[in-house]
Amino acid sequence: MMSSQPPKYVQTPPFSAFFLVHAMQIGVGVLGFQRVVMEASGYDAWMSVLFAGVGVSVSIWLMYIILNTYEADIVTIHKLLFGSLIGNALSLILMIYFFVVAVVILRTFIEVLQVWVFYDLQTWVLSVLAAVFFWFALNGGFRLVAGLCVFGVLFPSGLFIILYLPLEYAEINNILPILQHNFQEVALGAKETILAYIGPELLLMAYPFIERARLSHKWAQMGHAATVYIYFSVMVVSLLFYSEMQIERLIWPTLTMLKIVEFPFIERFEYVGLFLWLIVVTPNIALCLWASSRGVKRIFSIRQRTALYVMLPIFATLPTFFADRQGIETFNNAVSTFGLYILIGYLPFLFIIHQLKRWLKGGRRNETN
Amino acid sequence: MRRWFYRNKGEKKTDKTLAEHLEKLKKASGDFEQYVVETNHGSFVLSYYDPLIDKKTLSEQVIAPLKLAGNTNWNEAAEVIWTAESQYMQDKDRILDHLARGYIFIRRHNGENSGWLCPAKVEHEREINVPEVEFSVAGPQESFVEGLDTNLFLIRKRLPVAELQVEKMRVGTTTQTDVAIIYLKGVVNEENLQTVRQRLQDVTYDHIQDTNQLAQMIQDKTLTLFPQFVNTERPDRVAAILVEGKIAFISEGSPEAVTAPATLLEFFSSLEDYYLPWYVATFIRFLRFGAVAFSILATPIYVAVLTYHYEMIPKDLLATLVASRSNIPFPPVIEALFLEFTIELLREAGARLPSKVGQTIGIVGGIVIGQASVEAGLTSNILLIVVALAALASFTTPVYQMGNTIRILRFPFILATAFMGLIGLAVTLMFTVIHLMKLTSLGRPYLEPFFPLRLTDWKDAVLRLPFSFFKDRPQYTRPKRRFRGPQKHKRQGQKSPDIDEFYQ
Repeated sequence: MMSSQPPKYVQTPPFSAFFLVHAMQIGVGVLGFQRVVMEASGYDAWMSVLFAGVGVSVSIWLMYIILNTYEADIVTIHKLLFGSLIGNALSLILMIYFFVVAVVILRTFIEVLQVWVFYDLQTWVLSVLAAVFFWFALNGGFRLVAGLCVFGVLFPSGLFIILYLPLEYAEINNILPILQHNFQEVALGAKETILAYIGPELLLMAYPFIERARLSHKWAQMGHAATVYIYFSVMVVSLLFYSEMQIERLIWPTLTMLKIVEFPFIERFEYVGLFLWLIVVTPNIALCLWASSRGVKRIFSIRQRTALYVMLPIFATLPTFFADRQGIETFNNAVSTFGLYILIGYLPFLFIIHQLKRWLKGGRRNETN
Repeated sequence: MRRWFYRNKGEKKTDKTLAEHLEKLKKASGDFEQYVVETNHGSFVLSYYDPLIDKKTLSEQVIAPLKLAGNTNWNEAAEVIWTAESQYMQDKDRILDHLARGYIFIRRHNGENSGWLCPAKVEHEREINVPEVEFSVAGPQESFVEGLDTNLFLIRKRLPVAELQVEKMRVGTTTQTDVAIIYLKGVVNEENLQTVRQRLQDVTYDHIQDTNQLAQMIQDKTLTLFPQFVNTERPDRVAAILVEGKIAFISEGSPEAVTAPATLLEFFSSLEDYYLPWYVATFIRFLRFGAVAFSILATPIYVAVLTYHYEMIPKDLLATLVASRSNIPFPPVIEALFLEFTIELLREAGARLPSKVGQTIGIVGGIVIGQASVEAGLTSNILLIVVALAALASFTTPVYQMGNTIRILRFPFILATAFMGLIGLAVTLMFTVIHLMKLTSLGRPYLEPFFPLRLTDWKDAVLRLPFSFFKDRPQYTRPKRRFRGPQKHKRQGQKSPDIDEFYQ
């Protein structure tokens, strides 16, 4: 249990939870989450975005209740709740999930680049480059990863205003009248949106690295709220800009939307958007890789560098196995569905187990106090 | 060299007396003098290095009083000799050391091994002059010179307080150069001070000629393009950073002070920013940031866009670009590298050539080579403009060393964009950012106030808000005393006066 509490000089201030959560949520998802949501709830999709936002917020709250009780990362909590063997097995599954999320993000981003910019770019070129890059980045430790999150949020934030520019061609009647869809459809859309919201579960590993971590809860919620705001804006702009038929045919509606932004000196603005997106997804992947390598370190009691020696080559080779759109889509869906169940299924389950255990022990604890 | 030579010799033959030693010096070195003064109470021997000694001091303050003094006995010689800080000395090594630094050694002519040391160093220094590297339009116009004492005077003149403390030490195994660490006691962070002290003591190089040389030896990381300490030739800049709680050090014979710790943003702020109104200064700062970004990224973007992403250029602009590039046989990257190297060549030649020739070469070279290469179809007009502007923009950084960094930094970017277009650009940018995040200066983060994010420090580092906002020192230096002035309490219940009302 010695290494569970990191030294103070590697910790980050409470407000970093804002950037951790926000940077983790905004990833490749925002490029194309509109289609899946609209398939379920049509022009009422914006309501789905808000509902899902509330749902994830509750889930973050549950997560903080658990974390605040133990003041440790998920590996320790698993051990305390389920014992060493089952606990470690559960932790390992979670770490594999984090690792696979990193791979999915990388593969999806490379796909976007291959479709949009370099159609003959080999996947391995970028994945190997990425592995080298993240080796350098992760050597800087958690503080550097958190710094990347800050950079990845602040630097492209100037781009955000550009997402509103397509409103020039907005058709307000698209979303009127509201509530054409029944609650079930909206809820189904909300479920699809949560796929784009996954990310706060990284705090399960990052929690001990935040100083005065209790205070970080409100920052985490604010980070999440900022994500909801961005998704909501993107969704509303897309709904006003596209017709339902159009959006069904687009894989990345957000990118396509940027195409119509024009300046006298630059056209095809989505290129700029794409390259800024690289800066957005970098902290995403870095945080996932950091969390999973840290978890492996804690489970098997090996050095984090050793874990990375094994993980980064796999990280570089895995993306090459998903060659076509179909494969990537399936991979993506599988991983995000898993993430969805962690966020809205496993976290509440963990909460209930935790509460049960407290009730069972409650009497004895009162006596000792 | 000289000192090292003698010290070794002295250690070998410890039994040799001082007098014999001095005789030997006289034989070994042509500029060493042993001058015998006959007075009415005995004869004295003055030993000194002739070029180091001020002849006027020698004759008026040492020889004349010795000759004129009537019945002085040896022990009262100090009162006769009029130079300041003369001291009685027996230690041979210290005497030899002082001799090499412009002291006169006086002993009786009877082979005694002790005597008086009087400082009589000749001062040949250039005048305090207008700063030439860090020129400013507004503000003080004086810069450091090659003498440590003069430089310390320039700083102490601006900070006439007892808290200003100077620690002197000798660095360099052969040159034994005097180095002064300057700080403001009570404000400076002791931990930083200890780091500087320790690192300077650990320097084992043989000769130290300049502060910058020293700065490179004690910086945190050498495998980097970025300078980790600010070097400056402006005393006002040193005074300003001392008040912020940082540390400066100067070595003897260097016209530049080095201040530590430093952040990346510090290299883009000039002290002139504080002599101009805040909105002007903030504007100029943003101009500089823009200029630096332009300087690094302009050519790479040109290469990336023209190699891979020409669809990003609007139709009308594309026509111009294509027209100017239609005759050029090279891919954009060769074209860009050719021009960049030409510019670098001109810049380097301009700096090295004698000033009378240099100016002509700079202008002629720039115009002639630029025009000729365009007409010969080697480069395009537009790239010529881009490269020239980028070169110009790299000169906007107030600290010279950062300009060099920017010069070099653009080449990896150009190469990366030649391979992978804008992706290469973004990847190189991320590598640079990570590198900067890992950098430290005296163990303090280099990228502050961005990483770690400290918004309170933005008011002075990124922006330059009015002075009323600068009530506390930057958090960055972790100063001992946080507030600049007395800590004011908020006046409660007092509102600003309404229209047509005034404070009584």
